[in-house]
Amino acid sequence: MNPVVAADGLAHAYAAARALDGLSFAVPAGELYGLVGADGAGKTTALRILAGLIVPQRGTARVAGLDPADAGSGVRESLGYMPQRYSLYGDLSVAENLRFFARLFCLSRAVYAERSARLLAITRLERFAERPAQQLSGGMYKKLALACALLHRPRVLLLDEPTNGVDPVSRLDLWQLLYEFVAEGMAVVVSTPYMDEAERCHRVGLVHHGRLLLEGEPQTLVAAFPESVLRVVGAAERAEAVLERAGADVVAVAPLGGALRVVVRRDAVAALAAALAAEGAGVETLRPSFEDLFLVRAAAGASPGEAAA
Amino acid sequence: MSAPGRLRRFAIRTGAVAAKEATHAVRDPRTLYLALGMPVVLLVIFGFGISFDVEDVPIAVVDQDRTPDSRALERSLTTGHEFVVAARPDDPAEVDRLFRERTVSAALVVPRGFAREWAAGRRAPVQLLVDGSDGVGAQSVLGNASAALRAEGRRRLAAETGGAAAPLAAEVRLLFNPALRSAVFFVPGLIAYILYIVGVLLTALTIAREQERGNLEQLFATPVGRLEVMLGKLLPYLALGLLQALLVLAFGMAVFEMPLRGSLGVLGLGTLLFLAGALAQGLFISSVAGSQQVATQAGALSSLLPGVLLSGFVFPVENMPLLLRALASVFPARYYVDLLRGVMLRGNGFDALWGDFLGLGVFCLAAVALATLGFRRRLA
Repeated sequence: MNPVVAADGLAHAYAAARALDGLSFAVPAGELYGLVGADGAGKTTALRILAGLIVPQRGTARVAGLDPADAGSGVRESLGYMPQRYSLYGDLSVAENLRFFARLFCLSRAVYAERSARLLAITRLERFAERPAQQLSGGMYKKLALACALLHRPRVLLLDEPTNGVDPVSRLDLWQLLYEFVAEGMAVVVSTPYMDEAERCHRVGLVHHGRLLLEGEPQTLVAAFPESVLRVVGAAERAEAVLERAGADVVAVAPLGGALRVVVRRDAVAALAAALAAEGAGVETLRPSFEDLFLVRAAAGASPGEAAA
Repeated sequence: MSAPGRLRRFAIRTGAVAAKEATHAVRDPRTLYLALGMPVVLLVIFGFGISFDVEDVPIAVVDQDRTPDSRALERSLTTGHEFVVAARPDDPAEVDRLFRERTVSAALVVPRGFAREWAAGRRAPVQLLVDGSDGVGAQSVLGNASAALRAEGRRRLAAETGGAAAPLAAEVRLLFNPALRSAVFFVPGLIAYILYIVGVLLTALTIAREQERGNLEQLFATPVGRLEVMLGKLLPYLALGLLQALLVLAFGMAVFEMPLRGSLGVLGLGTLLFLAGALAQGLFISSVAGSQQVATQAGALSSLLPGVLLSGFVFPVENMPLLLRALASVFPARYYVDLLRGVMLRGNGFDALWGDFLGLGVFCLAAVALATLGFRRRLA
């Protein structure tokens, strides 16, 4: 594997807090890589370092083999970046924003016309070409930002929480677009706090306290999950008392609607389910998901990370 | 067409930033008002407000002599526009009350026997009282009144000696501003002050605004360079600034009857350099300020103080202590005030004004360089 994006031992701290603590990962061409983690895990800092906006205090970043912070190397021509914040010009129209970024990449008029027409078509923004960016909905805005980051056909696309604040339909649209570009050979790194989106990536890295807890293909990771997952409804206090008594057999508990999602050691699951049912709680076995994986690994990985911070 | 050359890419990107910035400016009514409305408003307020010309000063005349001679003396004061007689008390003690009530600002007391003493060839003293509580006004009143009285004395002397002039009398002529109108002296300083503060404020917000709105995060991920951003932001405001300068200069000439005795080319080039320096100063402040609020305050202070105090607008720079003179030499306002007076009033060309051009040019280059270096192409 010849990585187009490589982060090696990235460490960075702001005045108030440590953001990254030795983060490493690599992405080859044609892969959609997900950086998954809760808010504050360090995802944004990692992407900003790869985009050349922050120079890391330790470690190295490489994009297309170049240092992203070295403006003279031409690395920015290979790089498309879509920040989490609204960063386009709100008073400029959709077409004016596209045109501005096309000119910063010195695209000729003909190339600009052809590519912007195609991008507007696949993002279904053609009808809104004259609308100021600040009057777009969340989903339309993100699609415009994506189009602006793609005009120059970068080899690497970095997306910081592209689906944040986007309605479910537009979310599907965005993922569909990403698959198309990846199929053309682009390397895409996308960060997301939504565990359910991890399963849309080719490979994911689970980020927690500025380092990678776990990395691999989401289906493989979930299939290898050694624990069982129960959904427990009703008999709230008595059910919780049962879980309490079970001690180390209960790995993680998280609220799930009005119920509880409980990760249990596989060999203890039968006994626990019986004990819960005896107290009058409804018990149901669930298929493990990426979120369970995260809950378990974060609970296990939290202590060393916090000790370091 | 594949990759354009380095210089061409520089020009394309600078043009892209300039076009974007121009669009922002045109769509934001506040920018247009700041650039084109405020200068005229300021010029009107200050132009008519700041004047050392005193007219129609109310004066009390106490004529105890009541002769044709004493009345002629009074007329010598009131024939111009400087004084109007507001009271004629009989008792000189009344004058004190009139001053306290602010009915009059000056008083002339002609004692009994004035005409007799004069006719006898003796000293004929008259008393002139001026309200000294308003320092600048009092000086003008005193100057005007004593000049009028001296002139009357000389006229009488000449009439009696059959046309022979007084033994020693300097014939005073004021060059370039014969009527000594204060507007002619003030308006160039005022123009420099207005163009300076508006120029700095126009650009002081541009980078800080993009920083606050998060625009820089996307911009920094593109190949655009720092100098390209700076020049791209400078150019549209320079065009707007020149339009503003044209408006202010035309207004100054039409309303305050400012002459333009030198060449328009010299004036235009000097104005271009001055504006570019002021705009670059705003860009520098914007790039290091971090927020629009800090940028506005720093922009206003850094142009207001040098523009008023260190420009020669109000206080002559030559009379300042060494330290202040050195400080004044850093800012472009003093060079531009000097250049405006030179080209408008004296009709000077490059040969006489090269020092001012040098000062303006050095400041402009230094400000662009500082703004570019101060603009960190990184997120904090």
